[in-house]
Formats: sequence, C-alpha cells, structure tokens
Amino acid sequence: MSEERVPCVEGLFTEEDGAATLHGSKCTGCDTPYFPRSAACHNPNCEESKIEDYDFGGKGSLWSYSVADFPPPPPHKFDKPFAPYAIGVVDMECGLRLIGQMVDKAEDVKVGSQVELVIDTLYHEDDKAFTSWKFKQI
Amino acid sequence: MQEVAVIGVGMHRFGKTGDDIVGTKSVGELCRTAVDAALKDAGVNWKEIQAVTAASSRFSGGKGWGLNGNDVVEDLGSTGIPVYNMSAGCAAGGNAFNVGYSMVAGGMYDVVLVVGGEVMPKGMIQTSGVEEATDPEFLRQRCIGMPGPSFWSTLARRRMFEYGTTEEQFSQVAVKARKCSVSNPYARFQKEITVEDVMASPYVSDPLRLFQICPVSNGAAAAIICSREYAKKFTTKPITVATSTVATMTFDDMLPRGLADPSTECANLHTEAQNAVTSAFEKSGIGPKDISFTELQDNTCYYELAFPEEWGLCKPGQSESLLMAGETTPTGSMPINPSGGFVSFGEATTAMGVFQIAELTWQLRGQAGGRQVPDAKVGLAQTLGLGGNATAAILKR
Repeated sequence: MSEERVPCVEGLFTEEDGAATLHGSKCTGCDTPYFPRSAACHNPNCEESKIEDYDFGGKGSLWSYSVADFPPPPPHKFDKPFAPYAIGVVDMECGLRLIGQMVDKAEDVKVGSQVELVIDTLYHEDDKAFTSWKFKQI
Repeated sequence: MQEVAVIGVGMHRFGKTGDDIVGTKSVGELCRTAVDAALKDAGVNWKEIQAVTAASSRFSGGKGWGLNGNDVVEDLGSTGIPVYNMSAGCAAGGNAFNVGYSMVAGGMYDVVLVVGGEVMPKGMIQTSGVEEATDPEFLRQRCIGMPGPSFWSTLARRRMFEYGTTEEQFSQVAVKARKCSVSNPYARFQKEITVEDVMASPYVSDPLRLFQICPVSNGAAAAIICSREYAKKFTTKPITVATSTVATMTFDDMLPRGLADPSTECANLHTEAQNAVTSAFEKSGIGPKDISFTELQDNTCYYELAFPEEWGLCKPGQSESLLMAGETTPTGSMPINPSGGFVSFGEATTAMGVFQIAELTWQLRGQAGGRQVPDAKVGLAQTLGLGGNATAAILKR
C-alpha cells in the first residue's frame, strides 16, 4: 500500500479509512441534492435557491447497469490491457440517482441489488493510482 | 403563420470512410451531392434559395466552428444569403429543419435550404469536447467511463428488468430494420440479417450487441422547404409540414445525463423526446392514432420499443408483441422506421434530422419502393441529441 492514491478529479470525493464521502450540494429551499457541487438550485419550481454543501455516502439500490465491453474514448483513462467493467446507475438513500463503475464483476451484477459507495482505483499514471467512486454489491 | 411545404429532398448514401460508398469524400462533397439532388428534386435553382439553415457539426467541416452552412453556401456559390448554423448534438438536423420551418412559416423567407452532413471519426463518439472539471460530460467520461453504447444498454437492461424483454426481441428489431433497408438505396447496410446473425455479433455494451446499435457513418441530407403559396410554382402535390417542434428535457427527467440526477416521481427517461413529440401532437392537432408511420432515432433497438409507448402510439409493455406480430414493419399497423433506421444507416450525427425529412417525403409521395408504407398519409419524425435536445416533425400529404 505504498502506492500514492490521487482522486482522478480533485474535490469531488474523499477517502477516509476506506469509506467514501462524495461532496455535493443541497438546496434547503426545496430539499434537492446535487452531485457534483452546484452553485445554484436548478429546480424550476424552487422559489429561492439556498445552496449548502452536502456530503453523502452510504447505500443505494441498483436501478440498472451496463457493461463497457470496449474501452471508452478519451477523456476516459484506463490501465492496459483493458478489462471490461460494469457501470451501475443507483438510487441512493440520499435522493440522488448516481452513476459509477461497479467493483463487482459484470456477470455478478443484478438489477435491484443493494450497493454501497467505495473509493477504488480507476487507472495508474506517473506511479500513482488515480481513484474514483465506485459501487460494491452488499 | 403561413403553411410550409417540402418540395425537394436529396441524400448522399451513407457509408464508412474508405469504403466504396463514401471513400475519402469530404463533408463538403457529401453535402454537395445531397443539395444538388434536393434542388433538382424541387426544380429550384440555387440562386432562388433565400436562406440556409444548417446543422452544425463538431466532427467535420465548418472551419472547426460549426459553420457548416457557410461551407455549403461557398461551395454552391456565395450569393450573400443569410446562413443559420444550428448546434444541438445529434438533434442538430432536426433543429435546422425547425428553424427553416419557423422562418418560412413566419413569413421571413419564401424558400429555404435545410442541410446536414457529416464525416465521422472512427469508433465510439467522443461525447466530451473539453477537458474541464466544470463539464458534466468530461466528468462522466473521466470519473466513470460511460460511452454512448453504455448509456443505451443501461436503458435496455432496465427494460429487460421491467418488461421481461429478451435479447432475441432486441435482435428482431434489427432484423426488421435491415429487411427495410434492402429497399433503401441510401442505406449503408442493405442486406437482410437473421436473429442468429444478430445474436452472434459481439457485445458492444452488454446486453446490446454490435448489430443492435448504430455505428457512426458519413453521409448527408438536404431539403428544400417553402411557403405553400411559393410551392405552387413547382408542384401541384407538395408535402405539407403539419408542424415542427424543438424541446429540451425537464428537471424531473430520471435518466442521469451527467454524474447524478435528483430522484423524482417522473417515470420518463427521455423527457426531451416526449416533450418534442407531445408538443408536435398539440400544435398540429394530429394525434398518435392519425400517424401512418414513424421515423424515430434508433441509436439502439431499445428506442423502437420504448418510444412508441412513451408517446402513446401504443400501450406500455405492448411494443414487443407488436414487433413479434410484424406490426412495426411497413405493412403493419404501427410502422416504425421503414427507412431501415439508424441501425441500417449508421449515424452521421447532424444529418439525421434531415434524413428523416427526406424519408418522410418519399413515403408520403409514394416513392419508397419496397419499403413503402401503403397509403401513407401522415409521418412523424423525431431526433434526440446531447444536452437534452430533441425535435419532432409531422409531415402530411
């Protein structure tokens, strides 16, 4: 574990003791959560945008998923040789439908399963492991 | 509002860079062929065209600024006419048609050229054009890696979960589409395939296979539209534009386009398409039951099953049985994509909205040969593009 771990994009999430925290926003006027952070509320029915920082993690239910059987084009980055992965779309307890790669092998993934957020390696570059949030079936 | 007519359409057959169809032709050459054919079809001289509405490409031509309409005008001979370059992702062709329609309807111009053409880079479409953490598409590709086919297969997987749709049924959509394409001289693929062929093609994004999604293609399409009054000079049987609409998605849409979406009660996954089509029905006074046939954006076979239900052409969960009974073929009760659709053409992104207008026109004139919808009276077209863009058009004879 000497490898340096770096978020693939700064400021979106943090990793502490293996737990994932995603940094979003919430409008306290209409109770709408956002990820990534938003400077304003985008709900056209919200009368006053009152945005606060809102960190979330936790669990959700897998609404659907797909499999990347071929490498996506840039700006995606991946370790070669390319290994297919599943991409989950999850209804989180915090009220967001969130997309992320699955840690689980594609053949094990099932619609409707319970998942939790984790931080995991996406690709390696300059001897560093670049990380992102992913889902893991519970 | 003046009534608007389509008096000429033209296309360059779709193909792939390096093949016998498009070879190394530039987007300018492809557009030239389509525009020349449309002018000839209409019997209109280039110098009579009063304005151009063009789809802006992010992939080819347009001086890198999406100025594709300017390229066309320079090629045909600069006459000083106004050019409108419309950007709406894959909905840009439909958008260009709408702007042309709106200006003729509003009396700004008598006769307008609508054009879209594309030479596509190989492989999966690179959806993000910028490397900025403020761009949702950049974040989606860098942090997750979710190309177009995965977007579509997420929808397909959900439908399989909700309705029990099988991979064989998705395959049957492709078989139906390719059967139509045999009679379409502009389709890139013109050979019939079997369910076994489709099932033997590799997964691009499980559960969707190669033959169930559209590849990228090079191609072009053009249409000459004018006021009903102006059309009398050229034809006694013009095709009428009942309406043309543009819409974007609404906040409650439940298909995440970036990284995440707030959960809502809305069940719809493409509110932009539903908004465009619903608005077209309302504006034209034409309802789902009046539609003789539909050309919809089938980037994947999934859409041929989902969209007719979402727009009220049939009931939720009914599409699979209609498909298997042959009702979505040109001679069925609910013909979908008699042209062969995107899965037979491949997607020359910005040309697609105009390609649909060409197919609607040929069908309504009764010129569609072996793929003709018998006694076609009213046609519906729909496009969908990045950014939550969508368009619809209803043409009638």
